Amino acid sequence: MDAQLRALADPRRRDIVRLVWGRELATGDIAARFDVTRPAISQHLAVLRQAGLVHERRDGTRRLYRARPERLAEVVRFLETFWDERLALLKRAAEAEAREEQDRDDPSPPDR
Amino acid sequence: MTTHHPPIVEREVRIDARPEIVFQFFVDPARMARWLGPATTLDARPGGVIQLGVSGVHGGSGQFVVVDPPRRVVYTWGWDEPNHPIPPGSTRVEFDLTPDGDGTILRFRHLELPADAVDDHTVGWTYYLDRLAVVAGGGDPGPDTMMPAKSA
Repeated sequence: MDAQLRALADPRRRDIVRLVWGRELATGDIAARFDVTRPAISQHLAVLRQAGLVHERRDGTRRLYRARPERLAEVVRFLETFWDERLALLKRAAEAEAREEQDRDDPSPPDR
Repeated sequence: MTTHHPPIVEREVRIDARPEIVFQFFVDPARMARWLGPATTLDARPGGVIQLGVSGVHGGSGQFVVVDPPRRVVYTWGWDEPNHPIPPGSTRVEFDLTPDGDGTILRFRHLELPADAVDDHTVGWTYYLDRLAVVAGGGDPGPDTMMPAKSA
């Protein structure tokens, strides 16, 4: 998860992932879309591949890339998990306070 | 003027506590520390700063947009960590509190900000998360309209 977030922190790498979303492109096709050198693009692709965000396939001397949506969905799950944990804590804390308030207002034992 | 994205995360939780109690957990630092994290700054009024040290995920910050006790709280949000893909000002969280007997129905949404409201370098990420949420739900995000087609 950390490696994925770091890989996606770079706007150029996000652009690359969008470019190969749902289609497979060679390094040269990808580099042609950007105003940076081909080695720089290769470096970005290496980071994305190491983070598991793109799949690499070799065809002769060419390397072809496509996005891996199943891994990218983990970023969304990061947020879902974060909020599920926080909202559960909120529910617990607020309900504890409501019970304390009720005990103060109505000190009679609950088993009566 | 602006196009609103579908929420990244949307939840509905019933809490056995009145909205007046639940609302305090958004505006009182001691109570906020019990669920979201200890606040460095918590200026709960429109335009006021919210800065939290969210445990384990580093600190985040934003600005209050709506503070309407005990019904609604909205603030912008992002993580302060350098190079985090969700920087401050890029997303927005909304909490709506509705009375339900002696309890509260809490509706929560974490949304991306409209593209024209955020810095250019964050637009890619927010648009991208939008597509991710669609794909994660088994849908087709449609053609990519963000990527400038320099060559066909």
